Amino acid sequence: MIKSGGAASWTIRIVVGLLLALALAWIPTRGSDSLIETCTTAFTLMAAALSLNLLLGYAGQISIGHSAFFGIGTYTTAIFVTRWGWSPFFTLPVAFVVSFVVGALVSLPALRIKGVYLALVTLALGLVFPQFIKWPKIASFTGGSKGLDQTGFRFTKTNPTYEIFGWNPWGNLRGQNVKPFYYWVGLIIVVIVYLICRGIVKSRVGRSLVAIRDNSTAAAVMGVNLALSKGIVFGLSAAMCALPGCLSAIRTGTVTPDTQLLTVAGAITFLVVMVVGGAGSLWGPILGAVFYQFIIEKTGDWVEPANIPGVIRPLFSWSETAPGGGIFALALIFLMFFAPLGIVGLWKRQSARLFRVVPKAAGTATLAVTTSASAETRSTR
Amino acid sequence: MRRKSARLMAAFTVGALLIAACSDDKKTDATPASTTPDTAVDTTTGDTTADTTGDTVVDTTEPTAAGWAVNTDDCIDPAAAEAPIEGTIKIGSVMPLTGDSSADEAFAPVKDGWLAYMAYANETGILGDLKIEASVEDDQYSKDLTPGAVSNGLDAGVQVFSGIIGTPNNLAVRDTLNEECVPQLSSLTGSPAWGEVADYPWTTGQLVPYGTESKIYATQIAEQFPEGATVALFYLNSEFGQVYADAFKELAAEYGLEIVDEQTIEAGDNAPPTGQITSIADKAPDVIMAVPLGVGCVTFLGELASKKAQTPGWTPATFITNTCASSLILAAAGAAADGIYTSGSLLDVADPANAALPTVKQYVDYMTAAGKAAIIVTATAGWATAEVTVAIIKQAQASPEGLSQASIINAARNFTFTQSLARDGVVLKSMGEEDPFLAESLQVLLYDADTATFTPIGELVTQFET
Amino acid sequence: MELFLQRLVDGLSEGSVYALIALGLVIIYRGTGHLNFSQGEMALFCAYAVYQFGEWGIPIGIAVILGMGVGFVLGATAEVVLVRPIAKKSPFAVFIVTIGLFQLLNWLDGSIWGGQQLPNTGVGSKQLQFPSLFPNKPEDFVTVFGADIKIQSLGVIVLELVISALLFLVFNHTRLGLAMRAVASNAESSKLVGIRTSTVLMASWGIAAAIGALGGVVFAGINTNVNLGLMFTVFIYASAAATLGGFDSPVGAVVGGLSIGVIQNMAAGYVEEWVGQEMKVGVALLVIVAVLLVKPSGLFGTAKVERV
Repeated sequence: MIKSGGAASWTIRIVVGLLLALALAWIPTRGSDSLIETCTTAFTLMAAALSLNLLLGYAGQISIGHSAFFGIGTYTTAIFVTRWGWSPFFTLPVAFVVSFVVGALVSLPALRIKGVYLALVTLALGLVFPQFIKWPKIASFTGGSKGLDQTGFRFTKTNPTYEIFGWNPWGNLRGQNVKPFYYWVGLIIVVIVYLICRGIVKSRVGRSLVAIRDNSTAAAVMGVNLALSKGIVFGLSAAMCALPGCLSAIRTGTVTPDTQLLTVAGAITFLVVMVVGGAGSLWGPILGAVFYQFIIEKTGDWVEPANIPGVIRPLFSWSETAPGGGIFALALIFLMFFAPLGIVGLWKRQSARLFRVVPKAAGTATLAVTTSASAETRSTR
Repeated sequence: MRRKSARLMAAFTVGALLIAACSDDKKTDATPASTTPDTAVDTTTGDTTADTTGDTVVDTTEPTAAGWAVNTDDCIDPAAAEAPIEGTIKIGSVMPLTGDSSADEAFAPVKDGWLAYMAYANETGILGDLKIEASVEDDQYSKDLTPGAVSNGLDAGVQVFSGIIGTPNNLAVRDTLNEECVPQLSSLTGSPAWGEVADYPWTTGQLVPYGTESKIYATQIAEQFPEGATVALFYLNSEFGQVYADAFKELAAEYGLEIVDEQTIEAGDNAPPTGQITSIADKAPDVIMAVPLGVGCVTFLGELASKKAQTPGWTPATFITNTCASSLILAAAGAAADGIYTSGSLLDVADPANAALPTVKQYVDYMTAAGKAAIIVTATAGWATAEVTVAIIKQAQASPEGLSQASIINAARNFTFTQSLARDGVVLKSMGEEDPFLAESLQVLLYDADTATFTPIGELVTQFET
Repeated sequence: MELFLQRLVDGLSEGSVYALIALGLVIIYRGTGHLNFSQGEMALFCAYAVYQFGEWGIPIGIAVILGMGVGFVLGATAEVVLVRPIAKKSPFAVFIVTIGLFQLLNWLDGSIWGGQQLPNTGVGSKQLQFPSLFPNKPEDFVTVFGADIKIQSLGVIVLELVISALLFLVFNHTRLGLAMRAVASNAESSKLVGIRTSTVLMASWGIAAAIGALGGVVFAGINTNVNLGLMFTVFIYASAAATLGGFDSPVGAVVGGLSIGVIQNMAAGYVEEWVGQEMKVGVALLVIVAVLLVKPSGLFGTAKVERV
């Protein structure tokens, strides 16, 4: 048995942390281009799922419309860069603020609308966003359905290179090939989003959030300011989701309103990534994104039957399409069946045998993952 | 949502591909066309079999008097761009093949056709001793995944990309490919962005630019209605539809066409455009210019037929973009498709009248032998794209600098070629910055639903080919 | 006037399909309190099944009934095998499972019917010709007050109303309906008075999927084809319809579906300058949010009292 908070536990934490840091530094410097790209894509999903997690996992508010906030980030960057020649970096805080405001506004109806109805209101937001961008009245500004181009950085061959104690964080950065650069931007966004979530969760606001989730009426009675708490959390969640959106515009240099992540399909992807990892846990969305991306990469080239590993090939020999979609769907269903709390839930259950949690003083304990993420849904029945 | 829009986009692109793409059949006339007129003399003497082994003939010929040449100084690694390619050449592509976008259903035949031609080229030795290693990566039709797919290819040593599908998808990787100086040939979209030779020398498109096609219809309408006409536009509310619509509107005034109504349909919307057609019929225009895709073509034509039956005396001339000009789509629309105008540059391989043509027969036979007989119509897009790519590489082999990434893009930008499945007189031409687009000729066609065939109207329009 | 009438009928006919799918959503929500994200895909699966029965030479009328049977089995199985065990652990997980089911069914459709090549297949390989339940030739229309109304549109509207009436009878005049209402209002107490709640819940999911199957067949018939993307937008609008009407009210689902169809058509047709086809979704959803602000449980939904 290893005591939580004990020396052994700290050693494990430190070792794991160091290994993680080493891996994260190794990838952009020594890893292949495709690995870097894969990681950057995973970071995009991670940040979006983390922001959604704050809302759903902790505040119990469902959102099937976070693609709209992702899109606000994408379009803020695109518009500022193409219309006013801003450097993409400076558009990140702008996107954060714009998205915060929109998110906070959305939280107003959420004070009155609950459960499945609120889910549909957020879905509406996700549906309307691409249509709004395409609206002829503002199409000349947003680029309409044609989208905008040249929304990323313009690099030159003579990019300055930096070295930190002889270590070049850009790795194989050559000329305008800036994949490691996007990798670092993505990683920084994930770290920022993670820290914000962590800060909120461990703060007084976080505790009131959980109170709202578990029983909003009781929370209100006990002095939690519902409107303010919900407004802040909705706004922050939206604002954080805009950041990976900015990265998407910067990285591909082109935006269109029909892009998958900007539509409801994107919002569902975020939701699935978060749930796979484990809602209501800080590490859940991170693990979920890694897992999701791993499956996508693994099954991606199973288009030709010959590429499917021999063990499972006979299982899909009857299928007229690539088995990737079916495998993912089955994995999702099985995961929910055996571990409704996602990978983190599974891990906690296993590790409970190894670690013993020694309760600390009240108020400082890490939040337990609870099963009541959808308490709201239940309460409206 | 994503599923629908992607699938419709997919469907449309395939349609576009069908039209623009057919080509091929090296054995007979492709070889002369793939080289320059000077070389044509030498190679035409070689017969079918000579072609398969006779690349030495090509090697001895003079290269084109190339005006345009790429500047490799801008490359990250200029030496790599000019390094000779020997033994095998790795050709990669990125297409939507999986994912819940379901786009795979529409694009799988394109992939099959593309790979089939690459295999065919190896079997018949079109590139002599040079072996082609072809691979297709999957991006699920999401532009956020295309960079990763291209990186996978680059890591695996791909030297040429060909036939990447989707405008945003191509845009998302053109920076990388231009910096790496890896040719991005025959992008399977008709975006005007593929003409930016100065900024993106390494990126070329395969399809007739959407705007050019739009202009061809405008000229045809003006011919049929010399007094001027009222026109209603019906288009897909996407990047694709918007480019067509904008180009058409630009020309309308010049040709005395008055646009009386504009209706759009969302790419994800599967319902028939009932409301849109009701509005259009209310304005009773002389002409309807429609830009739908895939299933959208069928439902549009069905709704229009109903509305015409309800409105005696209203018989608008209907122009529909060649994304719908596949005999498969129009057959699905049945009698509703009778008498519509469209355009094309390739032969309809399903038309019995063409079955006897040697080039068509050769294509169909090859696909049948490969067990792909069921998809010959949709696979032509991939086949034709691969044909153009291989022909470009063949021309690069023959150039004095030998085969390298740089010589391939030089060949692609100084290229004259007749595709084996092309209609009579359709020649692909490019010439440096003066003519960045390969395909700019189209034949306006009239569809007859009874015989399920297309009848050419007027001459082949080549006036936009510079 | 003719134009108005025409748009009204267009809207009602469009809305009828939404209403059929929304009815299924409502029946499930009343029974087990879940939003079934795979409702549209279940309907699509059944539409493919009906197509398959047609290929085997079964007349469309019988094929539709068989298709509804497939729907019933599909829905009931989903409830027993997936929903019931998972709901005990986490109701939210059920929502995610229905997303998984959505993807699985769609993939299955592609896997089973994907490679079939038909003479009239459209672009790609998976669009299959689908027969309409009603006459849908260009000349099949009637003129009412000067407006030309398609027989198909009228047929769809009538069919939808008949189904709603039948459901009303089932709910209010049969033992099963009584049991369903009892379970919806209080599952625990129903159990105590001897109602087999598990059977009732299973039946709810089955009936919901069967009605959805009819919606899928009708919509595929209007489109004259069935393809993998057919039902997604319909499902979204159906959820909007259920939200507008109230998630626990079958009447609300019908009213909501029809209203959304009409609102969209009118807004797109008459406010072309500002709304048009591009923003008609926006108008419909704006109406829904406005209604919810006034009545948080939709037009006909029951407001729940929250207990502390």
